[in-house]
Amino acid sequence: MKKVLLLALLFLQLSAYEVGETLSNEMVTQLGLSEHSKLYVVDFFASWCGSCQKELPLIATLDHKVDHSEVEIIGIDVDKDPAKGLAFQKELQQEHHLTFRIINDAESQIIGTFNPIGMPTLYVIKDQKVIKIITGATDHIDEKILIVVKEQK
Amino acid sequence: MVQLFLSLALLLTLSGCVQEVKPWEKETLSKETMEPSGGNALARKFEEHIYFSKEASKGGGGVAGGGCGCN
Repeated sequence: MKKVLLLALLFLQLSAYEVGETLSNEMVTQLGLSEHSKLYVVDFFASWCGSCQKELPLIATLDHKVDHSEVEIIGIDVDKDPAKGLAFQKELQQEHHLTFRIINDAESQIIGTFNPIGMPTLYVIKDQKVIKIITGATDHIDEKILIVVKEQK
Repeated sequence: MVQLFLSLALLLTLSGCVQEVKPWEKETLSKETMEPSGGNALARKFEEHIYFSKEASKGGGGVAGGGCGCN
């Protein structure tokens, strides 16, 4: 009985997508992850996050290198103030030629479901399943994503 | 058994008082004005100088952990 209660308490705290877990159908629709064979890189960022500012130009460059029939990068802007978020996105598009799809999550609905432990966090998803999570400031993030892409081929 | 239930109930009640700040909610916390010196570099330098003079030691003034990895 004790064990059951403790486990229940533990699971109350851990409601997040982990590696190996399958995304709900609602989330798949919301993010537009329609193609099962495609590798999706979902990157959570915000304008106030210093590491995101360093990481996004690298991801933008990576987006120009990958085959879009195999890999799609999706940005999730979690800025609470949509105007601030859009201004940041515009800056990225102009300065770093960021062209991938961005979803605005001002209400924290998407990130609240993923519930990552830090910012920025990047999820690699294939066939609705989380196959890799990269959290926090990561050097050469583009190369690290490419390794995962090659592993999944 | 009753004690266990009571302790768990108490724990759950206590946790209700604490609202966890999630990593994506740290916009305000990431601002320079949230630093002890209020983002004023000169004030920070002065404080560090006093600390060094008094303690004959420096460093350790940063914030560690938190899992945000933002700045």
